[in-house]
Amino acid sequence: MADSIIIETLYPEFANLFGDLMNTGYLKKCIPDGTFIDTNLFDEPAFVSQDVSMVFMGAMSEKQQELVVHALTPYRERITELIDKGCIFLMTGNAMEIFGNYIENEDESRIDCLGLFDTYARRFMFKRHNSYILGEFQDMKLLGFKSQFSHSYGDNSDCYFYKVTTGCGINPDSDLEGLRKNNFYGTYTIGPFLISNPLFVKYLMTLMGIENPELAFEDTITNAYNSRVRQFETFKSH
Amino acid sequence: MKKTLRFRFALFIGKAAYRTGKLLKMNASHFPGRLAINLCPDFLGRIDKPEKIVCVTGTNGKTTACNMILDVLSDCGYDVLNNRAGSNLNAGIATALLSHSTLGGKVKHKLALFEVDERSSKLIYPFIHPDFAVCTNLFRDSLQRNAHTEYIFNLISDHIPKDTHMILNADDAISSGLAPDNKRTYYSIAHMETDHDEDINIINDARICPKCYHLLKYNYLKYHHIGNAYCPNCGFTSPESDYAALPDFDAGTITVKHGDADETYPLITDSIFNTYNQVTAIAVLRELGLSPEEISSSFAKVKVLETRYSSKEANGVEVITHLSKGFNPIACSCVFEFVSRQPGEKEVILMLGDIYGHSHSPEIVTWMYDADFEYLNQPDINHLIICGERCEDYKLRLLLAGVSEDKITCVPDEAKAHEYLRLDKTEKVFILHQVYATTAAAVAQNKIIDRLISK
Repeated sequence: MADSIIIETLYPEFANLFGDLMNTGYLKKCIPDGTFIDTNLFDEPAFVSQDVSMVFMGAMSEKQQELVVHALTPYRERITELIDKGCIFLMTGNAMEIFGNYIENEDESRIDCLGLFDTYARRFMFKRHNSYILGEFQDMKLLGFKSQFSHSYGDNSDCYFYKVTTGCGINPDSDLEGLRKNNFYGTYTIGPFLISNPLFVKYLMTLMGIENPELAFEDTITNAYNSRVRQFETFKSH
Repeated sequence: MKKTLRFRFALFIGKAAYRTGKLLKMNASHFPGRLAINLCPDFLGRIDKPEKIVCVTGTNGKTTACNMILDVLSDCGYDVLNNRAGSNLNAGIATALLSHSTLGGKVKHKLALFEVDERSSKLIYPFIHPDFAVCTNLFRDSLQRNAHTEYIFNLISDHIPKDTHMILNADDAISSGLAPDNKRTYYSIAHMETDHDEDINIINDARICPKCYHLLKYNYLKYHHIGNAYCPNCGFTSPESDYAALPDFDAGTITVKHGDADETYPLITDSIFNTYNQVTAIAVLRELGLSPEEISSSFAKVKVLETRYSSKEANGVEVITHLSKGFNPIACSCVFEFVSRQPGEKEVILMLGDIYGHSHSPEIVTWMYDADFEYLNQPDINHLIICGERCEDYKLRLLLAGVSEDKITCVPDEAKAHEYLRLDKTEKVFILHQVYATTAAAVAQNKIIDRLISK
């Protein structure tokens, strides 16, 4: 089964600001027989011509967001089709914003985005937001760090990724983190989201059709996760 | 700018705060300036400045480069107003200026050299209007403060005055593009045998062309994105260098090609990172009008301060503490690479946890996936001890770097880390520590020495 799994990373040459590429790096360790494809900015994504199991994209600079919007806009319909078919998308950091309606600058100028979710992002370039979040997705606790200039707005109550119990959701007034539709998961959480959330890795591996998935370095990653959950819950109680 | 009553009041209060701080034997390198700026927000613009101002900024190396420039200038008899004693924020520069000015706001110095925090650019450059602005390099740094290089680039570039002369590192495809319309001088280090022709580090902050965004290629790379870049798509290249250096580590010299002349200077470091800092200093000093002979003579007396490194020995085992700035993946990667190059059988203690920041919020661990822990996966690194509450995260990172699990020991209490050293075939022990763990590292070093002596 694993040898038919194809995982595509979009624009790894820049969409990797905070250790994001270790998400697919860790999946390579967990799914050694999988096929991993890196797609650069001026290349046609693999998902255009074939069904892939998962598409990953990490955090990037504001200018690079605009480049990515430009690059992905021609494939909007195909992305919609893949989401409807249940293809996994994992978008970390501000990569998620590209799938909303638009991104608004401080001067109120707008960058039109893919419009797959009825949300929009606003940039606050002199107000960096740093926080940590803990929340619940199905029967697991998800956690992570945020470090960003922008927040998303709009109603994501029917398309959020997970409900936050500590920290904030897509904006400081929200407790609904990220965006979700079928197996599209977008989160402002930065960096190695999967390494921070091994239970979610297992969940994704199950979605990819792997029965009884085993994690690489399972004991260590589980100990680290349990320790972090305890720590996040401790800070929550402060 | 006019010296208003408000400015004069702020200057008076700032000077009084400075004097009081000194009487109380406090460092007083930040607070007096902070006070003056709070009282008069454009204080830096109104106070008299020396005739010539040089500012040095950049992610890595700005302190070392500044120290080198200042040491040479001082040795050559220049009286240089500077902020070496303290803060590199606007308040630190205000303190340096007010502490050396008269109550009327006049300053006696003819030359100033300021280290400038990149993020403070907009609060400093428009007010002090430097004659020369130097940038050593731009890398990703603390993500919480510095976000990414594009953000820092724009902060600097947008606030440098149009007539400031830029002195830039031609081997940095990012910072070499700062203030593109300004007069500029470039320095670089020429191709060396030890260079690489492709990425050897996890991160390269300049993988795409700054002009057309296609993938960059490199004629050679020194480390991370520092090297000679070109774009096969649009023809972008690293700029031609006005000061092209070539170090000879064996001979202890560095030859700098400037115009038609080859200038030779004593090399005062054995690392490529500090060689860049020395070339930065040479370019600045030459542009200030010093002769190669003056600079060379002074460099012979200059020593790179190694406050970040301390070595002790007992029973044939060297115990080394080395600062490894956590949350700065470039700095950590450089230290790991340094350790990997040291000969002998080694054990390494990692004290990289953020004990201080940790008391306020959970420790952010994303940076460790940008840092090249892979350098610690070496046959002659026999044992790695990881300290701190997040030791399982570090263990996972080391496992992902290919380190064998039997080489890793987790010790949450860093005060006990030294007890777990094996010290069987060990020739060197490295204690790599965060800024906050400097004391803990020194204590551990002494305890290991005691253990070796009593062995």
